[in-house]
Amino acid sequence: MKGSKSIACAVLLICFWGVLAIDLSDAREVVLSDEARTCLGCHAKPGTIKKFQNDESVAAYVDPEKFRISVHGFLTCSNCHIGFSADSHPDRRFRSKKQYQIQTSRECRHCHTMEQLRTKPVHAGLFRREEEGKSAVCTECHSAHAVMPVAGGRIFSNEAQYCMSCHGFSISMAFRSGEQQSVTIDKLELQNSVHARLSCSDCHYGFSSDEHPRRDFRTKREYSLASSESCRRCHFDKYTKTLESVHYTVLSRGNQKAPVCTDCHGAHSVARGSKERSITTQRCQGCHPEVYEIYAKSVHGKALFDEHNQDVPVCIDCHKAHNILYPNTLDYREKIPALCSGCHANKTVMGKYGLSTDVVKTYLTDFHGVTLGLYKKQREAMDKPARPIAVCTDCHGTHNITSTRGTDANLLKANLVKRCQQCHKDAPTNFPDTWLSHYEPSMKSAPLAYLANLVYKIFIPVLLIGLFLQILLHIWRYAVDR
Amino acid sequence: MMTDYWTGKDEKVRRFGTARIVEHFIHIVTFGTLVATGLSQRFFSLDISQWLIMKMGGIDNIRLIHRCAGVIFVITTATHIAVAVFGVLFRRWHPSMAITRNDFTDAIHNIRYYVGLENAPAACDRYTYKQKFEYWGILTGGLLMIWSGLILWFPTFMVRFLPGGFIPLAKTLHSNEAMVIVLIIAVWHIYNSIFSPEVFPLDTSIFTGYISKERMEHEHPVEMRRRKAGSIGDNPEEIRQSTGRAESEEIASR
Repeated sequence: MKGSKSIACAVLLICFWGVLAIDLSDAREVVLSDEARTCLGCHAKPGTIKKFQNDESVAAYVDPEKFRISVHGFLTCSNCHIGFSADSHPDRRFRSKKQYQIQTSRECRHCHTMEQLRTKPVHAGLFRREEEGKSAVCTECHSAHAVMPVAGGRIFSNEAQYCMSCHGFSISMAFRSGEQQSVTIDKLELQNSVHARLSCSDCHYGFSSDEHPRRDFRTKREYSLASSESCRRCHFDKYTKTLESVHYTVLSRGNQKAPVCTDCHGAHSVARGSKERSITTQRCQGCHPEVYEIYAKSVHGKALFDEHNQDVPVCIDCHKAHNILYPNTLDYREKIPALCSGCHANKTVMGKYGLSTDVVKTYLTDFHGVTLGLYKKQREAMDKPARPIAVCTDCHGTHNITSTRGTDANLLKANLVKRCQQCHKDAPTNFPDTWLSHYEPSMKSAPLAYLANLVYKIFIPVLLIGLFLQILLHIWRYAVDR
Repeated sequence: MMTDYWTGKDEKVRRFGTARIVEHFIHIVTFGTLVATGLSQRFFSLDISQWLIMKMGGIDNIRLIHRCAGVIFVITTATHIAVAVFGVLFRRWHPSMAITRNDFTDAIHNIRYYVGLENAPAACDRYTYKQKFEYWGILTGGLLMIWSGLILWFPTFMVRFLPGGFIPLAKTLHSNEAMVIVLIIAVWHIYNSIFSPEVFPLDTSIFTGYISKERMEHEHPVEMRRRKAGSIGDNPEEIRQSTGRAESEEIASR
């Protein structure tokens, strides 16, 4: 609509009196000038257009009512369209619509002096662009004949519409460092975001239809960092979680590259995180490309990217989304079995892939798992530092976890012994044979241990019953004898 | 008869030498330590286990204590076997702990007695079949514990000589055999030396070295008859004086 409101130089010469069929009695008490009535005799007819040399065109139609209630309603056409009058309609040629718009914008400056325009911070960026030789077009934001003062935007039904009257166009803001940041908002993107129902000023606080404070940032990054502060006004729980994260620690040490809300969630395109899990990994990839490459080749990564499997863990499942901890600590190590068991102890999930859920149980009841559990308690109870003990990732890897299915047993053993040797330095090559591979001993996997267990399962109760029977008989006989 | 024994009117005879008394004390301490530190590892999820582990300064400490007690147990067991073998082979001790045909007949006889088919209990020698059962149970179990314990202590070394499957085997043997030994001690030994109506409240012979003649006649009549007759030539008086000799009870039983 706004685009079509720009008026070109008149192409028709003949104007008629009295054609105006607009009721002028209500609304503002502004009465159109005689000259305006003359011009509108033609220009109020829809379909009048102005053509440019490059075949672009613009509607030369003027909505009389909108013009009348505009702030310029008291003016007459020739105040802006200099050289035109009720008698004179010069034929002017322009190469393009753009050239025409720049030309008409110059007319605004006759009344609106540079000094006056500079008082509005929103114009500052435009002037900087002008200094670089890129002309600003007033009508892009203010419209032509329906021109309204920005402060009195009563014609806008909501704030977003108001803001979009400028930010819908290609405008940008500049920083002291010389960087530029587009502040053009893709309306469709905004409407598809989870924030579609918010007003602009819900995030951009301090801004309104009355206020457009001048923001002065050194760099584009500093602006992003400052902008992300507004998120906490609603998402305070997430904000407090981020305070525990390694990213916040890095940021507070002065590294501005550390990610903030908008780096992962986007700004105006903010979407619900759970929709497509591969997208979240790609956010992390931005800063952690080497880990991403390794992950993408792992059994989890392959399933995610090749099969669009939504069961496999992505970065945030293990590292968390907001309270991302520094992973090379004992505290974090101790949480790893619990992280893995989130899926690997879940029968419904594992059942789909034919994987055993005993892996976690066998780990937790075996030497390493028992020690880990007690170390954890020890550190809680007496703050006693403990040695690191093997957890899932020490044998299976972290980002490079691969499936053992279909792998040659000897190769598997050769790989595994290297993992064992990280702690058991003198482990010989047959050391992995001591490991039951997360299976409970069975006749097939560990016949010796299985049989020994079976013998004791029978022997211990028999022994116990036998001993108690002896004792009871002895007591009974003793009582009878007395 | 109990009254006579406790008032001391009855004459007592020497049953155990000082070495056996000391050995028993060492066993009480090492066995108690091994059981406490071992069971708290086996039943690690119980509150009492966790309480003990925390009190002892963590699982690494518990394991260290368990292994130290294990080393003492290895030494005492090895010494015991060496002394017994040496005594039987070179000092012509009577192998009084050896299992004989009589032990089986005594056991059957006693069961018949308990159910009322016999009028008197079996007449036993120096060690009754119950004591022999306990002794051999603990000795063989102890050897099994030492063997499996060493495998678990040095798995990377042991696996150079043994197939890998022996490590899980050692693990299951160590924890199951421990239960067998604990049951024998907790049920059988504690009953026979504390709660049995014949000795209640405590059989003090292993602590003092002496046993009443009354009890000797009742529990070890065969040995008593031998001693009275002096058929083997051992004078009980001589045994009484030779308290410094570790092998006194072995001599006494010849």
